[in-house]
Amino acid sequence: MEKKLSKKTLTKSFHNWYYGNLTCFSQEHMQTFGYLCSMLPVVEELYDKKEDQARSMKTYTAFFNTEPQLGTVIVGMTAGLEEARANGTEDVDDETINGLRAGLMGPIAGIGDSLVVGTVIPILLGIALGMSTGGSPLGAIMYIIVWNLFAYFGMKFLYFKGYELGGKAVDFLVGPQGEALRESVTMLGGIVIGAVSATWISVTTSFTMTAAGAKKPFLDLQKTLDGVYPGLLTAVFVVGCWYLLSKKKMSPIKVMLLLVVVAFIGVFVGFFNPGLSY
Amino acid sequence: MTISWLQAALLGLFACLSSMPGLGGTSFGNYTLGRPLIGGLVCGIILGDIKTGILVGAAMQVVYIALVTPGGTVSADVRAVSYIGIPLAMVALNSYGLSAATKEGAALATSFGTMVGTLGTVLFYGTATINLAWQHVGWKAVEKGDYHKLYLVDMVLPWISHILCSFIPALIMCKLGADVVELIKTTLPMDGLAMKTLFTVGSLLPCVGIAILLKQIVTKAVDFIPFFFGFTLAASMGINLVAATVIAGMFALINYKLKMLQNQRVAAPAGDFDDEDEEDI
Repeated sequence: MEKKLSKKTLTKSFHNWYYGNLTCFSQEHMQTFGYLCSMLPVVEELYDKKEDQARSMKTYTAFFNTEPQLGTVIVGMTAGLEEARANGTEDVDDETINGLRAGLMGPIAGIGDSLVVGTVIPILLGIALGMSTGGSPLGAIMYIIVWNLFAYFGMKFLYFKGYELGGKAVDFLVGPQGEALRESVTMLGGIVIGAVSATWISVTTSFTMTAAGAKKPFLDLQKTLDGVYPGLLTAVFVVGCWYLLSKKKMSPIKVMLLLVVVAFIGVFVGFFNPGLSY
Repeated sequence: MTISWLQAALLGLFACLSSMPGLGGTSFGNYTLGRPLIGGLVCGIILGDIKTGILVGAAMQVVYIALVTPGGTVSADVRAVSYIGIPLAMVALNSYGLSAATKEGAALATSFGTMVGTLGTVLFYGTATINLAWQHVGWKAVEKGDYHKLYLVDMVLPWISHILCSFIPALIMCKLGADVVELIKTTLPMDGLAMKTLFTVGSLLPCVGIAILLKQIVTKAVDFIPFFFGFTLAASMGINLVAATVIAGMFALINYKLKMLQNQRVAAPAGDFDDEDEEDI
């Protein structure tokens, strides 16, 4: 008789992944235990015999790490493959399953990190920041609701698409339509991040030059710079940090330490002055 | 403003839930409760000043707007930023008599939060290392075929790691924080070089956060154009963030349609005039 995973088991497997993908994270095994917990209901439903269960569970002890949210599609796919293996499909073995997992976790991590973590979340946070201007909780509440609905139902969709379509589920993500979509979302992200920078970052100089005897300074550097392009100094600092991070391959912590030095020198020579006193 | 033991314990609990590998799960723990803006709301509710919480959280959020942890390497720990950094910054602002709504207030908050967040990476490595012990238990269970123990390993035992590396540090730091802030205040005068530097660093740090994001989307100079387009919308034209997103959405839509048209043209010579986009050449 053809074995078919019940909807209930698949949902349980998905929930185990949704919650447990990183709860027992270590540098050595990363998401492996989340994966095992997710496959356990599937394996238990498909096989009655202990040794079959052991063989299948052993498959998923192989190292696994990807962007866990987009990576749900891989979990769904392996549930489908395990079902095929239980039904005696010949070319599905440890090698096929782990080959697929190992082959996909890299690309999916790349797309997931840049699309979900690097674009969708910043866009939502950007809007939330806009709505929370002045200390209103509205933006934060909006983010909690919208992001969690998106993450939960998005991941559920990916899981079941992976289960139903197998390999075809990834074609959408890496195919031309997926690429067009990703490129457009990235563009949207770029524009929003630009607006976030201009709204929330304010790098200003207090540097002025006053002629002897004059009351007003003849050079107010901040005004001059803003006359060229509003927010110029902020933009210069952002691009400078980008240059250090991507062209000089510096780590974010080193760049931050460098900024401490820059701030210190800047304050010392009078370029920066927060203008505070008790 | 002082933080009571109960308040500190609540903050500690949220630290357990929110970290990356957190017990709230990835999407709700790390990517919701762990984001400083949300942390600001939670800390605001716990400490009884939602407005300040949100303002402090928002200022720190810009630094960590794109906290990507590729391959499990972290440059800042969200539980430390959101549930140690934000409460301490709130205490500090209160003690200095600064409003979080001012530029100086935001700069102070950012400096505090980033400092704590960077030091907090030690908590991340601590949690991940202790989890190795539970995973060892897990491997034993797999060998014996005792698979249900995996749930215990994946979802219950890590609580011990978090009590050690999230709950206790947050509890103690928040409880002692007010004294430390007081100490800093008396030793470092506001108009001294050290404090001025601290405030200036606070206003510069968000640039790194944005730059981390740009690193992912900018590979050649022309990729900077969307960023500067958005920057110009807000800085020169004074358009707010929600409105800027709508404009950005319009451009993204146009780009998508153009790309899809291009795809169809590529697909057409293959003799496939169906609306299917996956062509097998």
